[in-house]
Amino acid sequence: MNRPFPSTLAPVPPIAGRTLDAQLHLMDRQALDNDGVPVTTVDDLELSGPALETEIPEGTPAPILTALLTGPVLGTRIFGGRPPSSRLIRIPWKDVADVGVVIKLGVSGDSLDAGWVERWIRDKIIARIPGGRHDPR
Amino acid sequence: MKRLLGVALGVLTAIGGFVDIGDLVTNAVVGSRFGLSLVWVVGVGVVGICLFANMSGRVAAASGRATFEVIRERLGPRAGLANLSASFLINLMTVTAELGGIALALQLASSVHYLLWIPVAVVAVWLVIWRVKFSIMENVTGMLGLTLIVFVVALFLLKPDWGNLAGQALAPAIPGEETASSYWYYAIALFGAAMTPYEVFFFSSGAVEEGWSVKDLVQSRINVLVGFPLGGILSVAIAGCAAVVLLPAGIAVTSLSQVILPVAEGAGKLGLAFVLVGIVAATFGAALETTLSSGYTLAQFFGWSWGKFRRPAQAARFHLSMIICLLIGIAVLSTGVDPVLVTEYSVVFSAIALPLTYLPILIVSNDPQYMGEHVNGRAVNVLSMVYLVVILVASIAAIPLMIVTGAGS
Repeated sequence: MNRPFPSTLAPVPPIAGRTLDAQLHLMDRQALDNDGVPVTTVDDLELSGPALETEIPEGTPAPILTALLTGPVLGTRIFGGRPPSSRLIRIPWKDVADVGVVIKLGVSGDSLDAGWVERWIRDKIIARIPGGRHDPR
Repeated sequence: MKRLLGVALGVLTAIGGFVDIGDLVTNAVVGSRFGLSLVWVVGVGVVGICLFANMSGRVAAASGRATFEVIRERLGPRAGLANLSASFLINLMTVTAELGGIALALQLASSVHYLLWIPVAVVAVWLVIWRVKFSIMENVTGMLGLTLIVFVVALFLLKPDWGNLAGQALAPAIPGEETASSYWYYAIALFGAAMTPYEVFFFSSGAVEEGWSVKDLVQSRINVLVGFPLGGILSVAIAGCAAVVLLPAGIAVTSLSQVILPVAEGAGKLGLAFVLVGIVAATFGAALETTLSSGYTLAQFFGWSWGKFRRPAQAARFHLSMIICLLIGIAVLSTGVDPVLVTEYSVVFSAIALPLTYLPILIVSNDPQYMGEHVNGRAVNVLSMVYLVVILVASIAAIPLMIVTGAGS
């Protein structure tokens, strides 16, 4: 089937590399850091590009994926609404090393903002209970 | 030789780990009221749990993903959260029932009131989760749980009329003084007791804990396919003992002391000692499994670091959530609510919630992206579809039957 595109639409540019479906391959996937430790589940994605409900002039570059989001954004994804940009917890897309049945990050989880609740609970509660740093193996 | 030992250990653990407070109470209640006329449900439940555990173990081994990660990915956040809420609450109810079961068994052994045993039981459960290696925890409770074989021994020592028992089992009929709706209500309860969702969370997460790969699938299949049916025999023996001693005496089981009464009559003091060890081990083991399952479900849904193979400090939210669950268990039990009653409700709610976990696992175990060449075979899929229907019917019928029968009373 070689159906011609309507003349007003530019043809899809050729894409190098793999095609990923955001809904199928990225959303709600587990993200692991470079040691294989779970960091978070991808709660939402952040795209660059024109704001909502504005006129898009011709020749505007396509939006690109800038970050994986986590934290309170999960609540707004379920119940609606949108947190202000300053409240989003981001994992920059450049930190992503591989996308498979899990998303592998190329950085340590300790350096990410996404891990602050885990670190807070570890430092304030769990590590203070005797045996909290004991290796079970 | 070492491999053979591993298989033997796995099978024995599966037998000992099959029975929990839900199986103990429900089978005894059913035996004392309906004789062996509901024994076919145990068979249906055992085949179901074999199928379900086999699928979720295979998903975990082939993809390295545990049940609730898969549920969130497949259902999305909204349906996933609804599923998490239902599964988590029912699991919490089961944690409470198991903790109460430990305390009741210790009361029977010591004559100290069970409310005093509850803090002891909770601290012991927490210490094991905090400190003990996963495989040791599994094997010790499973092995000690094997002492429940005393129910089988007691059934033989009671010298029942085998022909009569076989007749009840093979030609099921509703006893005269019971209604059809309570018969079917208890059928669902028994099904829920055999096919509890926490077993599947635990089984698939345990596969990740122990680092299973595809190579270990054969052994896991043997553990399940041999261990669970043999565990089912223990369930039948519990019902059988109740049917022989309690049914003719007109005693309907409402407490744990009545569950073990037939063992005391058949096997004497020694039998009693064995059954008490067995019940403490079985409920303790199940309390560990359900508490871990509550941590697993939360951590897997939100993507936290989890697992007993990590230091607690490296899975901080996972450990904190389990501590909170245990504290909630104490709070509920200290209101003085009857743990046996909590158990009876928890098995029925398990049956109600079962489709929520069964369906996503069935879908993913057919997805080559996760499973590669290890997708379900045709025979497994046919059986799975039959069970999907059974599970849906049980789930939908449970609440109307609960209302009609006044929860079986």
